[in-house]
Amino acid sequence: MRSGLTRSIAALFEDAHQLGSLFGRTLYYLLHGKREKGSVARMMFEVGNKSLLFMCVTMGFIGAIIAFQTGLQAKKLVPDFSMIGATYLKLLVRDLAASLGALPLATRVGAGIAAELGSMVVTEQVDALRMCAADPVDYLVVPRFVASVVMGTVVLIIGGFVAYLAGMAVAQMVFDVNPHTFTNLSMVTTGDLTLGLFKCITYGGAIAIVSSQRGLATFGGSEGVGHATTEAVVGSCFAIIVLNLIISTLGYFFVPAL
Amino acid sequence: MSATPSSARPLLAIPRRIGLVVIALADQLGGAGMLLGQVLVRLRPRRIDRYELFRNLHRMGVRSLPIIAATAAFTGGIMVIQAAPFVEKYNAKNFVGWAATFTTFRELGPLLIALIFNGRVGANNTAELGTMKVTDQVDALRALAIDPVGYLVVPRVIAMVVMMVALCVIGDAVALGGAVLTADLLLDVDPRIFLSSALERLDTWDFLVGLIKSLLFGLMIALMSCYYGLATRGGAPGVGRAVNASVVASAAGVFVADYLSTFVLE
Amino acid sequence: MIRLEDIHKRYRSPVLRGIDLHVPAGCIYALIGPGASGKSVLLKVVAGLVRPERGKVYVDGEELGELDDLGLASVRRKIGMLFQNYALFDMTVFENIAFPLRRLYDLPDTEVRERVAERLARVALPGTEDRDPSRMSGGQKKRIGVARATVARPPIVLYDEPTAGLDPVTSQKIYDLIRDEQRAQGTTVMVISSDVSGVLSIADRVGMLHEGELVFDGTAEEARDSTIPAVRQFVHGLVEGPL
Ligand SMILES: Nc1ncnc2c1ncn2[C@@H]1O[C@H](COP(=O)(O)OP(=O)(O)O)[C@@H](O)[C@H]1O
Ligand SMILES: [Mg+2]
Repeated sequence: MRSGLTRSIAALFEDAHQLGSLFGRTLYYLLHGKREKGSVARMMFEVGNKSLLFMCVTMGFIGAIIAFQTGLQAKKLVPDFSMIGATYLKLLVRDLAASLGALPLATRVGAGIAAELGSMVVTEQVDALRMCAADPVDYLVVPRFVASVVMGTVVLIIGGFVAYLAGMAVAQMVFDVNPHTFTNLSMVTTGDLTLGLFKCITYGGAIAIVSSQRGLATFGGSEGVGHATTEAVVGSCFAIIVLNLIISTLGYFFVPAL
Repeated sequence: MSATPSSARPLLAIPRRIGLVVIALADQLGGAGMLLGQVLVRLRPRRIDRYELFRNLHRMGVRSLPIIAATAAFTGGIMVIQAAPFVEKYNAKNFVGWAATFTTFRELGPLLIALIFNGRVGANNTAELGTMKVTDQVDALRALAIDPVGYLVVPRVIAMVVMMVALCVIGDAVALGGAVLTADLLLDVDPRIFLSSALERLDTWDFLVGLIKSLLFGLMIALMSCYYGLATRGGAPGVGRAVNASVVASAAGVFVADYLSTFVLE
Repeated sequence: MIRLEDIHKRYRSPVLRGIDLHVPAGCIYALIGPGASGKSVLLKVVAGLVRPERGKVYVDGEELGELDDLGLASVRRKIGMLFQNYALFDMTVFENIAFPLRRLYDLPDTEVRERVAERLARVALPGTEDRDPSRMSGGQKKRIGVARATVARPPIVLYDEPTAGLDPVTSQKIYDLIRDEQRAQGTTVMVISSDVSGVLSIADRVGMLHEGELVFDGTAEEARDSTIPAVRQFVHGLVEGPL
């Protein structure tokens, strides 16, 4: 048990080191790499096209659920629903749209990236790239990173809107709060918007880096690809949760909520 | 899946695509439903393969424990931070315990644990069954007069459901720990006040809602991952596709189950 | 040009066990040996794609173990490589072959087209630019791989089984191509092959791997006349022997 624990802590540090190094190289090639025409656009289409519908559906459900829970909680504290829309919107902007939306995004986008890169590794295409003056980080990771940051943010924002609309519907149907009362921006500050946007961007980047790292570290045939895909999804989700705690703590100190 | 040329009638392309998606969805839901029926029919304690069951319990549950515990601890902490502004504004220190644990127990805990469980265990399960399918091992079982559903699916479904619920109980405890710690460090809320606030205001029901949800999520993930695994076709690339489809379908299934159960279990 | 000193590499079991090898500039070095003896791994060590646990790899005067990613990338610019399983990208034939040219140089499109067409003619696949490699036969993929490995005229070329799965006539054409190019450009070549008589017809030197060790290293003539039992058996395709 003890050795198991120390081993998993050592593995955690090793993973963190690998991810940091990949992130560093990605930034390097982002500035110094050779631009491939259209590769970023193609990846952006992939990311957006793959995840938009899925995101809208899941964020619709999540929005409805969270609004319902917020309402339940509010009912126990104060029997007044006039502020439920304002509170919900603040929560959504500041955290939930990004942090909850990022998990389904990781499932879809992260799995796609890891599966694609993993199968390139086991068919030796990544080695072939290295022999063709194309560093895999430059040629494969950078476009995915950019696409995931940009389109991830876009999709998360759209998902946030859907969640908001779903919450509005629930408030109307369950708690009898009309959409007009529900649409209350008074509690949302620029600080909240900045924090939320920063989270979206960070999660988009984290999904790309974690999934690329897992994909490029694939070994052992097609079973290895399945394994890498799994690890990419789990690793991305875990990274999002850890980053959320870090960013939220910083936000608590530097971006006062009220 | 495959891109069918529909350039002749561009206007029909979108309805056509939606129609194809709906048909595929109905097919898959029907398949998963049938599988549930087959599993239920075979649920006789004597006939379950003990060895398979314990092997799956161990590998699906015990080995997911570290990542699930870490997720839960962070989630507890995050919920405290989200509640913090309100606590400070209304000086409601005796509410923070309840505010943080209510949503974690009822909603976020089970949901996040299910998503991670899906990525780890569900995907792995589909990959394993899919590999057995494309290497004809499933047919080999049939040839040996061993029923694949009874031998492969039933122990997995039981193991996943049991372990999802068990992980949720553990996750609740760890999340509580994470929340207490964060509240103490960040908001200077005494752990005793935190716990008493949480325990006083939380019903057993809030805790039970989370467990019932976990059970449903576990069942959802189990059925989807087994169904997609056994429906795998087309060699090694087919396994990859099956894993992807299964992860997405399970996640969607979890969200739908969550939505329905949230309103039913009020 | 290429020098290996005491190379050790293991995966689950040892694959390379102390390889010392020297390939002078302008030499065609044939690497032969039974399956799973570590030939492909050795070639990847030379290309810097596999890092050995022990030992030094010198390519054109630089020790690969001391280089970081960028340093390795600059050494690899001097190397063209054909992979045993082709490793073609999911692009058309033209894009596959043009890929290293585009990454290395800023050539005008017409020149890229010309050079790709010239390569395709050289490997006896003229006019196949727009085809999808995944729908071509193994032998055709091999030849596209050869074209991609040589299109940028690197000073070192590594071929992993260039003639596996090819009929005897095409095989000979590929060997002639390797030989002609090498003579014309003075490239240094390492070529793995199981087709011993074919590869010996063009090789200057031969090395034989057996169970992770270099059991023979000498000229093609010496290989034919070798009295080492394993080499004798392998070179002459005998049934009796230690293999
Ligand atoms: N990436 C790898 N992981 C594990 N084992 C490997 C790997 N690459 C090669 N091997 C093992 O090394 C041995 C030599 O392989 P290889 O060099 O491909 O043989 P060959 O001489 O036929 O080209 C084989 O037993 C193979 O299983
Ligand atoms: Mg080989």
